[in-house]
Amino acid sequence: MALFEQLALGVLVVYALASLCGFAGLVGRVAWLRRAACFAAVGGFALQTFAFMLGSHAALPGGLSLGAYLQLLAWFLLLCGILGWWKLRLEEPLLFAAPPAFLLAAIACPFLHRQLVLPTQLSGYFYALHIGTLFLSLAMIALALGAGLLFLYMHRKIKAKERLVGFQRDFPALFMLDKINALCVAAGFPLYTIGIGSGFVWSGIVWGANFSGDPKEIISLFTWLGFAVLFHQRLLRGWQGRKPALFAIGLFTLCVFSIVVVNIFLPTHHAFVPLNAPQ
Amino acid sequence: MKRHIHLIGLNHRSATVDVRERYALAGHCGPERWAIPQDEGIEESLILSTCNRVEVLVAGRGDTLAQRALENWAAACGRQTVELDAYLYKHQDEAAVRHVFTVASSLDSLVLGEPQILGQLKEAYRQAADGKKTGPILNRLLHKAFFVAKRVRTETAVASSAVSISYAAVELAKRIFGNMSGYTAMLVGAGEMAELAAVHLLQAGIQRILVANRTYERALDLAGQFRGEAVAFGSLFDRLAETDIVITSTGAPEAIIHARDIKEVLKRRKQRPMFFIDIAVPRDVAPDVNSLDNVYLYDIDDLKEVVEENLAGRRDEADKARHIVNGEVDAFMRWLEQLHTQPTIVELIRRGERIVEEELDRTLRRLGPVDDSTRDALRAMASAMARKFNHDPLDFLKNGGMEGEAPLERIHLMRRMFRLDDNPGAPPPRRCKHRS
Repeated sequence: MALFEQLALGVLVVYALASLCGFAGLVGRVAWLRRAACFAAVGGFALQTFAFMLGSHAALPGGLSLGAYLQLLAWFLLLCGILGWWKLRLEEPLLFAAPPAFLLAAIACPFLHRQLVLPTQLSGYFYALHIGTLFLSLAMIALALGAGLLFLYMHRKIKAKERLVGFQRDFPALFMLDKINALCVAAGFPLYTIGIGSGFVWSGIVWGANFSGDPKEIISLFTWLGFAVLFHQRLLRGWQGRKPALFAIGLFTLCVFSIVVVNIFLPTHHAFVPLNAPQ
Repeated sequence: MKRHIHLIGLNHRSATVDVRERYALAGHCGPERWAIPQDEGIEESLILSTCNRVEVLVAGRGDTLAQRALENWAAACGRQTVELDAYLYKHQDEAAVRHVFTVASSLDSLVLGEPQILGQLKEAYRQAADGKKTGPILNRLLHKAFFVAKRVRTETAVASSAVSISYAAVELAKRIFGNMSGYTAMLVGAGEMAELAAVHLLQAGIQRILVANRTYERALDLAGQFRGEAVAFGSLFDRLAETDIVITSTGAPEAIIHARDIKEVLKRRKQRPMFFIDIAVPRDVAPDVNSLDNVYLYDIDDLKEVVEENLAGRRDEADKARHIVNGEVDAFMRWLEQLHTQPTIVELIRRGERIVEEELDRTLRRLGPVDDSTRDALRAMASAMARKFNHDPLDFLKNGGMEGEAPLERIHLMRRMFRLDDNPGAPPPRRCKHRS
C-alpha cells in the first residue's frame, strides 16, 4: 500500500473514531467522550494536512485527483469546525463537522488513484484561489446549515414549550447557534464572492468570455445572490434567528444541487472527469 | 464484639413540622448539642438536624445503641422517650448505611435532587469531627456518602433540572441567551416570585436590572435592592427596547403588553431576541406575543408545567440513582465486614510470629554458636514458613465462606481452630501426638 493510501486510510479511521466518540458523547452526555472526539478530529485534520504537504493531492494546483478533491472539501469542513471550537469555545461545530468529513473521506478513498488530467486552462494559482475560496465558503455554509437546523429545532421546542430531554439539554443556546450562522455568513460571503469573481476573471482570460452560460455558473450566481441577500439583511437589517437559519438551509441546498446534480447530470465544463475514466 | 451502625430519625414524611421543631437538635449549643454521649457502647455519633429531618447516627458495640441514643435525644429535648419513639424510623447496619447514602444523594428529600442536604450533611459531619465524635466507621461512612452523592449528581440527571418557578424561568433564559452576562432584565410589577427570579438572574450573571412599577417609589425601593434602575411606568415601552428579559407580575386586570407593541420594540432593537416571563394572574402579556419571531413567552402555567415535567424527570432518574446507591452500600458493607475480621487477622499473624521466635530460639540453642548470616537465614526461612501457613486461613477469613454466611461465623471458627481465645498469653501446643 502506497504511503498516500496509508495516510488516507489513517485519516479515515481517525475521522470515524471522532464521529463515533462525538455521537456517543452527545447522545450519552459524556463530556470526556465529546472532548476525545474533538481531539481525534483535530488529529485527523493534522494527519490530512501532513498528507497534503507531502503531495497526496497529486500536485495541486497543476492537477488534482478526484479523491483529493473530496478530501480537500473534508479538510475545509474540519478547518471550519476547529475554528468554531477555538473561537466560540463550543465543541458542537467540530463534533458536527466530523461525520460529514468522514463521509467525504470515505467516498474519496476509491478515487485516490483516479488522477485527473486537467486541461492547461484549469491550471495555475488562479484556479487554486477559485477552488480554495469556494470550498472554504462551502464549508462555512455547511456549518451555518448545521447551526441553522439545530436552531430551528430548539426554537420550535422552546416556542412550543416542549420539554428538552436527554442530550437536547446540552445543545448550545439559541443565541450561540445564531452567532455561528452570523460568523459563517460574515466570513463566507466575501470568500464566495472572491471565489466566483476569480472564476469569472480567469474564465475571461483563458476562454475569452467571463460568462458562458454554463449551468454551474448560473446556479453559482443564484447562490451568490441568496448569500448577498442574507449578508445584507444580517448586517443592515439586523436579521436574527429563524430567517437566517432558513436561508442557510436554502443556500446549502443550492450548493449541493450545484455539486451533485449539475456536475454529474448536466453538461458543464466544471465536470472534471467522468467517473469511469481510465485510471 | 461486632460493631454496629444505628440510625434513628424523623423527617417530613414521619412527622409534621411542629413535631420536627419539638425534637430539633440544631438549636442546642455546646455540650447540649452533643446529646449523644460516648458511653455504654456508643463509640461514634453524628447528628443531622435540618428543617426537614432530625437524625442521629451512632456506631459502636452492643445491642442497646439505638435505645441509648433515643433516650438521650428525648432527654435533650425535655420529652418522654415513648413520645419521641412514635415518630421515629430506625435503621441498623446495611439499612442505616443505605439511608445515609440516600439522604446524601438527596433521594429522600422533600424536593427530589435538591442540593442543600449535601451541604447540611457535610456541616453536620464537620461539627462531629471537630468535636471528636466520629471514628473510623463514621469517617469512612460519611466520606463514602459524599462520594456517592457526587456520583449520583454526575451520572444521573436527578438534580439537573429546575424545580422552582423562578429558577425554571432563569434556566429557560439560559437556553435562549446562553451566558447571561451583558444582558438586561426588567421587572414589571413587584411580585415576590418576580423578585426571586431577579435574584436568580443576578446569580446567573445578568448585567443590569430595570424595575418598572406603577408606584415609582416601590420601583425605586426594589431597584435599590438589586442595584438596578427604576423606570417610570409610562416609559415602559421605550425602555423595553434595551431589555432582553422581561419579568411581569403586575396586578393589572388585563394584558398590558401586546404583540403590536412588541413589533415596534423589536424594530428598534434590530430584532434581537426577547424573553417574556409572565408570572402574573391574570396575565400581563397577551399570548399573541409568542407568535412573533425572536420573541419567547412563558406564563405561570407554562413554567409550572416545566417544573412538573422536571420533577417527573427527576423521579425517573431516581431509579438510576438508587442503583448506584445499592452498589455502594454493598461495597461499604464488605469493608465493614473486613473491619470485623481485622483483630482476628492481626492475632493470627502475631501467633505465627510468636511461634517463629520460640522455635528459632530453641533451634539456635541446640545448634550452639552460629554466625550472623546463618542466624538470618534461619529466621527468614521460619518467617516465610509462618507466612505461608497463615496464607490460607487469612484468605478464608477475608474472602472465604459460603454465600450468605455471616462473617462472624467464619471469625468464630478460626478463633476456635487456632485457640485464639483460650489463653492469649500461652504458647501454642508444641506437638500433636496422633494415635492410631
